[in-house]
Amino acid sequence: MKPEDTGEGLRSAPFAVAGAVTILFSTALAWTKDAHPSLLHAMDAVAGHNWITHGLADVVVFLGLGLILSRGGWAHRMAPNRVIAFLVAAAAFSAAGLFAWYAVF
Amino acid sequence: MKITVSDVVLLAHSACGVVGILAAAGVFVDTLNARAENARRIRTLAIVTAVCMTVTWIVGGYWYVHFYPMDRALILHGPWPFAHTVFMETKEHLFFTTLILSWYLPMAAADSLSTNAAARKMVLCVAMLIVLSGLAIEGSGAIINHGVKVALLDVRAKTGR
Repeated sequence: MKPEDTGEGLRSAPFAVAGAVTILFSTALAWTKDAHPSLLHAMDAVAGHNWITHGLADVVVFLGLGLILSRGGWAHRMAPNRVIAFLVAAAAFSAAGLFAWYAVF
Repeated sequence: MKITVSDVVLLAHSACGVVGILAAAGVFVDTLNARAENARRIRTLAIVTAVCMTVTWIVGGYWYVHFYPMDRALILHGPWPFAHTVFMETKEHLFFTTLILSWYLPMAAADSLSTNAAARKMVLCVAMLIVLSGLAIEGSGAIINHGVKVALLDVRAKTGR
């Protein structure tokens, strides 16, 4: 039996948008700290290792932005297909971008 | 037989990752045929995915910070330095994408999947991304492991010990 469709939107849209933004932020942070050793050392000093600081920053961005977007209602107004496309594109860009960066530089 | 703390931590890290990938694959398969009857199982598997990936992050992070520097030194002086410079660097940062997706999966699965086509599509996409990125990360782990192995074999060939 084929599942039904009531045409509802995505209740989780704010955290989907927050996830996509966090994934892009994380990728940009990986590139930046690799290109600028001073940032790497600063991140080492914050939590004992730059990778730990990086992970904690991602958690803060994801949860913080998700909660902010949940209150605003802006993400709920986005078309569900756009939200899905944004998240999938961010993940694909992150994977390709990270591999290309470390393979080339 | 000698099993070190490093061995246990490393294997726990990859085992939790595999269970997380399998749970995400289960979410994908169940969502293809989402009904009111399997909604609870989909949500449970989505939570299992998030928990497993979180444990993988913490345990893998502990191993990476405390035990990996010696392996890294071996790899960088061995015949496969790209096992660290390309695959470990990509793996350790791509993992954050998998982690964020795995935390989002239970939120997406909380929607009424049997009646909401957009929610089903989102869960299918996120579960598939977790499976694909997780497999890429597991494969990178195998390449890193082989990088250590060929480095040790190289040392043995050069020194005769």
